[in-house]
Amino acid sequence: MSYKVTEEGDVSIVHLDGEIDMDVTEKAKEIIMPLIEAKKEVHLNLKEVQYMDSSGISVLIESHQKANELGKKVILKDISKSVLKVIMMAKLEQILNLG
Amino acid sequence: MVALRQISEQRDFVVSSASLKDVRSFSREVFEKVNIDQDLKDELVLAIAEAAQNIVKHAYQGEDTEDKMEIKISLNNGELEIGFFDKGRPVDKENVRHRKIDDVKPGGLGTFFIQQIMDAVVFKEGEKPWINHLILTKKINY
Repeated sequence: MSYKVTEEGDVSIVHLDGEIDMDVTEKAKEIIMPLIEAKKEVHLNLKEVQYMDSSGISVLIESHQKANELGKKVILKDISKSVLKVIMMAKLEQILNLG
Repeated sequence: MVALRQISEQRDFVVSSASLKDVRSFSREVFEKVNIDQDLKDELVLAIAEAAQNIVKHAYQGEDTEDKMEIKISLNNGELEIGFFDKGRPVDKENVRHRKIDDVKPGGLGTFFIQQIMDAVVFKEGEKPWINHLILTKKINY
């Protein structure tokens, strides 16, 4: 997994790339959580994520819940077909913010 | 390439989260030889990777080890059987369950995905030298 973070005003945009599994979830959290804790709105661009497993989905849930606690939002953008399928399999399409 | 109707391939992997990408590569290589649609291939790769992840997470509780797990993928007359063999802690079948799907929290989804994708999930005591033997099966129409 590789990533790039850009800032647009109060929004942090995290572009994730590659495969997100148990081996990289800690790294993904290290990237995303500080942005949420800084009370930014965070957009996760998932266009280039070709594979995500249950560990990756856990990162999305944890990020979503942390942002909710702080009154902020994590919005999932440009979700790749394969990631959307896993989100739907987990029945999270009505829970996570898909933008 | 001629699509195969019978397959039996197995490979060993070090029990580690770093092996999961190799588990996926192996699974993709095997399913490339079978004439099934890409969505089903992707689902099967996910189920296999989730089961391997459960071995790392639960049978070995994330501990560093040099132990290997073995994955065997067999297809015969439309019956797909995927076997997982490991030498970790014995699986307590009663404790293998996914979280309630409407109780949204991180974790507990891997087993749910496996059950969604496969027709049957069976835990057996492994024959020596293995401790655990997990069998996932699915009827494949091709």
